Amino acid sequence: MNTKKITELLVELEEDKVYDAVDEAIAAGVSGREILKASQAAMATIGEMYKREEAFVADMMFAGEIMRNILTRIQPLLEKEGGKGATLGKAIIGTVKGDIHDLGKDVVMIALEGNGFEVIDLGVDVPPEKFVEALKNNPDAKVVGLSVFLTSAFPSTEKTVKAIADSGKRGQVKIMVGGAPVTEVVARETGCDYFAEDAAAGVSFTRSVYGV
Amino acid sequence: MAKSMEDLYQERMERYKKANRMEKPDKVPFRPFAAELAGKVAGYTAQQVTHDPDLGLDAVIKMCERVPGIDAAVVNMVYVNTSVTESYGLKYYRVPGIQLDADDSFQYMEPQNDEEAFMKVEDYERFIEDPNEFVMNVWLPRTSNYMVPPGEENTWKNNLAWMKNGIAIQQYFQKLGANVGRMRTDTGTVSAIAGALKAPFDILADKFRGFRGIAYDIRRCPEKVLKATEAIAPHMAWNCIATADPSRNVPCSHWMHRGATGFFSEEVFQKFYWPTLKQVTEQIWGAGIQTIYYAEGKWARNLKTFRELPDKSIIFHCDKDDIYEVKRVLGDKFPISGGVPNDMLAFGEPADVKKRVKQLIQDFGPDGGYILDAEAIMQQDVKVENFIAMGEACEEYGYI
Repeated sequence: MNTKKITELLVELEEDKVYDAVDEAIAAGVSGREILKASQAAMATIGEMYKREEAFVADMMFAGEIMRNILTRIQPLLEKEGGKGATLGKAIIGTVKGDIHDLGKDVVMIALEGNGFEVIDLGVDVPPEKFVEALKNNPDAKVVGLSVFLTSAFPSTEKTVKAIADSGKRGQVKIMVGGAPVTEVVARETGCDYFAEDAAAGVSFTRSVYGV
Repeated sequence: MAKSMEDLYQERMERYKKANRMEKPDKVPFRPFAAELAGKVAGYTAQQVTHDPDLGLDAVIKMCERVPGIDAAVVNMVYVNTSVTESYGLKYYRVPGIQLDADDSFQYMEPQNDEEAFMKVEDYERFIEDPNEFVMNVWLPRTSNYMVPPGEENTWKNNLAWMKNGIAIQQYFQKLGANVGRMRTDTGTVSAIAGALKAPFDILADKFRGFRGIAYDIRRCPEKVLKATEAIAPHMAWNCIATADPSRNVPCSHWMHRGATGFFSEEVFQKFYWPTLKQVTEQIWGAGIQTIYYAEGKWARNLKTFRELPDKSIIFHCDKDDIYEVKRVLGDKFPISGGVPNDMLAFGEPADVKKRVKQLIQDFGPDGGYILDAEAIMQQDVKVENFIAMGEACEEYGYI
């Protein structure tokens, strides 16, 4: 069975139809990984549409919701197949300490996962030491994403970058920062490597770090 | 002879009114939207101004005394005060000193899923039928740690929550009113806003369904979303008009949120966001009240749509948009405010700020209809010396 239909229906956010297509694929013996690959292709397309302002945060969130439901459907297959398979790389992301906003972070997570990256989500109000700990536990992670919604969290962003530097892990990773009040100036002044203007820019940066 | 505080107040009120009404004032008014920054100027932590209403209000007085050139200020921009919110155990804020550190800002907790939302997807019909009934009987108990819904066994905590909250609200608003008076008599400063509006779509998204909920609902049950915005619109208008300035001197404020470019498509904006917002804004304008459109984020896509509103009915506050583009598209119909970047206020030097203020005044001042402010509400990241530089520059260059 051709999984192209799954990709097309997910891009169009045709929720019920895409579930039917997934169920049909499962019944036809398509592997979990193939269905996952088709779904990820759709997520990557939606990410591209987002970059062109043809899709929006709400669409990304809804696509993420559909994706979660697809994963639930194919989970038994993936377990039998030994998991999701290889990823393009790993990123650690979180909203910095003092800030509990999660939408921006979640959109970036959806976009990165949709593009085939593994994401370690540290959540919100994340203290600098938690980022350091995550880097120690994930020495293969080459990207850290800091999400910031409040201007009052700028100092906390700076502290996070400093803590990573103090831990000796700064050379291991590139740090990107994004969020409504963030600008090139904020990225530079807080010691980050890259200002991700939106989720698509975050994906492009992560791809460039991994050379994929 | 030095001017009396009342003379100063009248002078500033006249200046503020003229700028808001597209006329040319003697000086560009400085109307800083300063939240936790006021506490920083006064030497109070975010925790202090969030928990203690007296300190929160005192911070604004001290700010008006210490920062030169403020013509109008908000009586308390740290709008969550735990004297009110903790009195009935309000669940959806995280506040400094309880869940956050002393110098973090209070924040709204976004529901993660339908289970956490304070209005479930199956509640739409009841909400549409009577939003007030839903708020009192369903929403309020769900947002409170203590209140129980009608029909369930009553508790002492429920009784105490209603009583304590009633007392707290009365006390808090009495203090607010008194502080408006103190701003006038002690500092000669105008209270910048009275009455608050939120777009019906925003209130539904922010306080009832959550962003995730509304993002799914516009796909799964769009007609219900539309009907809900229509049901709530008259209440938003009434709430704003009832709490507006009776003398009609100062505008009401409208905190704009999910209509910003990037969250939803233009089609969604035009179908769900704009019709009821337009209706409510026109209703408020019909009552003689201007609305500040505090356009959080970027709104470039919709600037032309706002031109549908009556001349001078809104004051457009520019956050992340290019203020020169905003002026070009809206400047002949509406006054504008904003223009000083928050990253400059946080990381720049007073000389940078003064240069920016001078430029803004040169470019927008001569036409009238411009009010000086930062781009976004100022929090504790802003350097106090940069804030003072804004005021000094407005005094130095603002007389046009």
